[in-house]
Amino acid sequence: MSTTSDSRFAFVPRRQDPDVALAAALRSAAGGIPVEIGETKTDVDVRVAPEHLPRLVQVLTEHADLAFDFLRNVVAIDMGPVDGLAAKYHLYSFRHGHAVQLTVLTPPGNPHIPSLTSFYAAADWHEREAAEMVGLVFDGHPDLKNLLLEEDLRIHPLLKSHPLQKVEILQGIEEGPPGFKF
Amino acid sequence: MSIWPEEALVQLPNESSFETVDMTINVGPQHPATHGVFRMALKVDGEVVVDCEPYIGYLHRGLEKLTENHDYRQSMGWWDRTDYLAGLCCEGAYCMAVEKLAGIDVPERAEYIRVMLMELSRINSHFMFLGAFGADVGSFGTSFIYAWRERERIYDLLEEVAGDRMFPTYFKIGGVTMDLPENYEPRMREVLGHIRQGLEDLDGLLTGNEIFVERCRGLAPLSAEHAVNLGVTGPLLRATGLPWDVRKAEPYSIYDRLDFEIPVGRQGDIFDRYFVRLAEMYQSVRIIEQCLDGMPTGLVLNPSLPKTLRIADAECYLRTEGTKGEYSIYAMAKGGTTPYRMKLRSPSFCNLSALREMVVGSYVADAVIILGSLDIVLGEVDK
Repeated sequence: MSTTSDSRFAFVPRRQDPDVALAAALRSAAGGIPVEIGETKTDVDVRVAPEHLPRLVQVLTEHADLAFDFLRNVVAIDMGPVDGLAAKYHLYSFRHGHAVQLTVLTPPGNPHIPSLTSFYAAADWHEREAAEMVGLVFDGHPDLKNLLLEEDLRIHPLLKSHPLQKVEILQGIEEGPPGFKF
Repeated sequence: MSIWPEEALVQLPNESSFETVDMTINVGPQHPATHGVFRMALKVDGEVVVDCEPYIGYLHRGLEKLTENHDYRQSMGWWDRTDYLAGLCCEGAYCMAVEKLAGIDVPERAEYIRVMLMELSRINSHFMFLGAFGADVGSFGTSFIYAWRERERIYDLLEEVAGDRMFPTYFKIGGVTMDLPENYEPRMREVLGHIRQGLEDLDGLLTGNEIFVERCRGLAPLSAEHAVNLGVTGPLLRATGLPWDVRKAEPYSIYDRLDFEIPVGRQGDIFDRYFVRLAEMYQSVRIIEQCLDGMPTGLVLNPSLPKTLRIADAECYLRTEGTKGEYSIYAMAKGGTTPYRMKLRSPSFCNLSALREMVVGSYVADAVIILGSLDIVLGEVDK
């Protein structure tokens, strides 16, 4: 047992606040890829179209000053009927100790996003969860079957149109919203 | 000359008809070795596992959907039921996420109380690991009972402080529900003394035990690069030699004021995972002692909070070090009294997704130990 740090992962401690210097580095590294850079309460946020996501992630993983080697989280969000579905990726770099959030908005009716499983093995279960919860489709994922829900259940519970009392509606105790069908 | 008729001889199986085809074994969902309601289908070739498919979701309670549909303060009770071995760590993460969204300040005394109790919960959860893992490996009930003795003391203390043993709902957005009881300091120090003794007992029982070491040394090793790519965090990642702990790398609350170390392993094998957890518990005891020494006086709850919390457009990704790894919450508010979206990044979920990589190639008897070394909590995996 030792507590000496490993030179391959010489990260510096950082508070959980958006990093201004990182935003500038991301802007220059993105080059010709159209991105929109903003910030959340904790991270720099990079908004990118689904078709440019693999190119951007390629840059983020290979660029020496960025080196995002860790996919820590994927969030699927139903942004409403106008904005469509969104996926948020949280990346972290062990070499530099910085974090970024990627936002990918899909147009309504076309919820396709390229899978990141070829970059991060961790993306497998995260994408399966996102797919079943809101109905995103990750193109190139090896096996996009249900993870937390039953195998044959074809519902997307985290859609805003999905009522909370699903079981009660199925049992006929409660009435569903008008026009709602399973 | 055979005594058997000719037809019977023809029906006897010859060497080539004994085909060694792969067999699928179902483990779980109701089995003590799965540490909860979890199922895995092992494909075995003789004694060696050639494929493993984990099935989860038996405990899925729709945590995120419920949170979206309830007031910020109402959801607290569900979040401490995610990692139910350390409910206060989850409550802490949830409170901090909402406070970050709304920009709410927490009084210093409340921060100290929170950190103190979160570390106590971490010790509690790791004791559960030590006991259950010892039972997995073969010291049938002994390690379990030793660990349970200390866990009962911790639960008694939590009950005195917070009013409940496992799910106290003691933390509150903006602080904690009530101040500590008058005699908490001598009681806490007494329990810490017992914990140190209990750790030494378990250390003596397991660490030097030849059967235990032979069973764990060199089994399912993981390199740091591989672990990072698989999304593994917590003691599993630190066992590979990477000293990464959210409490140090991305400090929250008052952790950057405290003096503690991050124990790491060398090979990332199962023994290192066990030893990292054991060493971490001593560090947690150190943290609690520092909190007791430096405990400030004053309020424990922010007095200027509105009765109904409404949070305007904001989003955050709040990272904490849970007991199993990076326990983080993504939160998005769009006005109103409920969050628009709350997503739990659960460490058990991500660590379990790496199970296949570790189990394939090992013996069936070792698969159970490898699963035990992940220290999963199914409440957290299934949300």
